[in-house]
Amino acid sequence: MASLDDLKKTFFDECDEAMQQIELGLTDIRSGQSTDETINAVFRGVHSVKGGAGIFGFEQLVGFAHVFETVLDGLRNGSLTATEENLDVLLTASDVLTDLVSMSRSGQAAPPGFGGECRAGLEQIIEQGGGGDDGDGPAPAEFDGLDFVPVCVDMDAPDDAPATQAAPAGSGLNRFTITFKPKPEMLKKANEPLYVLRELRKLGELELICETGLLPALSEMEVDYPYFWWKGTLETASPRAQVDEVFEFVVGDCDLEIVDVTPAALPTVSTDDAPLAAAAPVALVIAPPAAKPVAVAAPVAESADGGGGRTKPAATTTRIELERIDRVVNMVGELVISQAMLGQIVQDLPEATSGRLIQILEEVVHHTRELKDSVMSMRAQPVGSVFQRMPRLVRELATKTHKKVRLEMAGETTEVDRSIIERLGDPLTHIIRNSVDHGIETPAVRAAAGKNEEGVVRLSAEHRGGRIVIEIKDDGAGINSERVLKIAKEKGLVGPDVQLNEDEIGNLIMLPGFSTAETVSDISGRGVGMDVVRSNIQDLGGRISLKSVRGRGMTIQLALPLTLAVMDGMVIKVGQQTYVMPLSAIVECLRPQANEISNLIGTHGMLQLRGEFVPVVLLSNLLDINSAPSASGERVVIITDAGEGSRFGLVVDELLGHQQVVIKSIEESYGTVPGIAAATILGNGRVAFILDVEKLSDMAVNSPVGAATTMKAASPALN
Amino acid sequence: MPSAVTIKVLIVDDQNSVRQMTRMTLEELGFRVIHEAENGVQAMETASVQPLDLIISDFNMPEMDGLGLLRAVRGHPAARKVPFILLTGRGDRELVVKAAQAGVNNYLVKPFTADILRGKIEQVIGKLT
Repeated sequence: MASLDDLKKTFFDECDEAMQQIELGLTDIRSGQSTDETINAVFRGVHSVKGGAGIFGFEQLVGFAHVFETVLDGLRNGSLTATEENLDVLLTASDVLTDLVSMSRSGQAAPPGFGGECRAGLEQIIEQGGGGDDGDGPAPAEFDGLDFVPVCVDMDAPDDAPATQAAPAGSGLNRFTITFKPKPEMLKKANEPLYVLRELRKLGELELICETGLLPALSEMEVDYPYFWWKGTLETASPRAQVDEVFEFVVGDCDLEIVDVTPAALPTVSTDDAPLAAAAPVALVIAPPAAKPVAVAAPVAESADGGGGRTKPAATTTRIELERIDRVVNMVGELVISQAMLGQIVQDLPEATSGRLIQILEEVVHHTRELKDSVMSMRAQPVGSVFQRMPRLVRELATKTHKKVRLEMAGETTEVDRSIIERLGDPLTHIIRNSVDHGIETPAVRAAAGKNEEGVVRLSAEHRGGRIVIEIKDDGAGINSERVLKIAKEKGLVGPDVQLNEDEIGNLIMLPGFSTAETVSDISGRGVGMDVVRSNIQDLGGRISLKSVRGRGMTIQLALPLTLAVMDGMVIKVGQQTYVMPLSAIVECLRPQANEISNLIGTHGMLQLRGEFVPVVLLSNLLDINSAPSASGERVVIITDAGEGSRFGLVVDELLGHQQVVIKSIEESYGTVPGIAAATILGNGRVAFILDVEKLSDMAVNSPVGAATTMKAASPALN
Repeated sequence: MPSAVTIKVLIVDDQNSVRQMTRMTLEELGFRVIHEAENGVQAMETASVQPLDLIISDFNMPEMDGLGLLRAVRGHPAARKVPFILLTGRGDRELVVKAAQAGVNNYLVKPFTADILRGKIEQVIGKLT
């Protein structure tokens, strides 16, 4: 059985979902994209928080949620209107509620008067609508003055007992006793008693007893003789005429007796029944008032469609501890390694024995991959859980900086591994802060530049080529390239005479120690922003790129792997060392002719690739290892994409093949090693390093170009 | 006198935590056969296939709310006589009037203690053994 603490945890998880629902709903209402269901969903969200908080005894939460809920209820039933000012108060209220939830979660008491201003705002709205507050004292067990009598049911009574109770006087129901005895003529005219009874049932609550006393022995039975007859009662909202109508076609061919016994119509009500009916004016009858059989199924179907057309199948989800999934992920990782080892052994077997094995092994590889994908999809979460914090951030920043900013979001449902989600919050917060603080201009400046006073920050996510791409785009001023370059030169981040294009200047802001804010504000501008963001993203195996158009705005793109546990890699060999290069970083592999490589002064070597020059570097030089060319003397150039659109070629000795590898972090044990991202275990049981291509690219740019480091000098085969 | 052990209860609430809390309270009172549903639609599915002795349902739920469920239950041939207790908030006085008209057996204001729950159940199905 779950403990109370587990239940509280579940409750707070539900609160997170509810808060998201509230925030999204309010934002939709504000931007005019709401439907009737939107305000209901927001109301339900607050109501759930309040209900759960009450049960678990978080009184502060209950108190605030109650006032919040009252306003929402007013909006829902039309006694209040959703003016822009009211919505602002509601949005602030959702922020306060979020804070109260997280305080309750961490067991802190809210500081005295916390959210008081907002609460006063809500109460003011309630007063405008003339609505009173029900107060938030302890919950009453009963509503005072409510004329409600609990309806007791006798659990031991036979099933039909309650239905035979008389309809109370004044319930608006008519009650008839019916005796229906078909004659042989009726069947001969092809009138079926069953159809008559079905029609009758449509009128309301029908209780019939079938009399079978006329039934003869089987040998004496005639096919077209009606042996059965019925008697019973009908409770219906329909008048007598409508009951008669049912028997219209058979009335001459049967013995029929219909008697109106509706209580009000009966002069002799039993004295015992009268006080009972008066005491329980509304809730005595268990049968529905005049429920037609068609209406039975209808509410189910309608309501199921009512929720925006989606019908949720019953209990198809389950909550699993993350730890358990992680265990499966680890096991899949081990499986991938064992399978690679098996592959290696099979390869070394003589062909006669290996043929069938290889076939089976291929199937195993296929299944392992599917298993991996399914497990990874279990860990996947929509990025919406990170995105949902951003509207509040933007709102608060806009207020602080006196700017008008609208946040647009798209692709919140895009899924990515949970471990990445967890580490995405900080970089995104930084970038959005920068966009609002530095990017978006003040309304006056924007108006002067002919732009809409309200700036737009757009946050979007999508899957692209096995990665998730998150884009943060603003329509602000863009990067002031002269100023950035000037500051970079002043701070000695670049040489005084360096020539850079717009994009390269833009990338300078991601250098450590760079800050352009003229005054260091408490929002951003301490110069620890973008370089931290860049290293965060790189730690995740991702890339960050930046595009800025002066006066039009800036776009920052983050490309991240979908998972941090297993990846597709290319196994390569340099000297005696084996490395793995992430397949996602490889653009193409080729064996160039010697004359395709030229040596310009001051560069490592340039490969002429379809009319373009791409710098090439020896991997052995970058990693400082001895490399003797293989027997054939041929080397391979891997063209990689290190992000920011810059390509370069890495010269390696040999390509050993493509393989799925399990990523094992080495940072904990060894710290950061330049050029190495992580390690993995190969099929032969040996450890191989996974290369950090982006870092290698940086190292290539900064490594000294000297004798013996150039391509031609080190590679006789290419000479 | 009904015995809590044999009574088949269905808890309907969209909040898992509240459902579990209600379940815990019911177990404390001796109930052993407890079904759960997240909303009215699911509850009706359960009610169609499971014989039930008692339904305890929240009001505010997506898909189909407690009142909708009550009406659907009362219109369902197999479930129409099942005692129904509606959970309400403290501001839901008018809701109780509507629910009474729709044939609710009792109501219960959240949050509630085990004793209150027991009292409300006993008002409906008689003293528990």
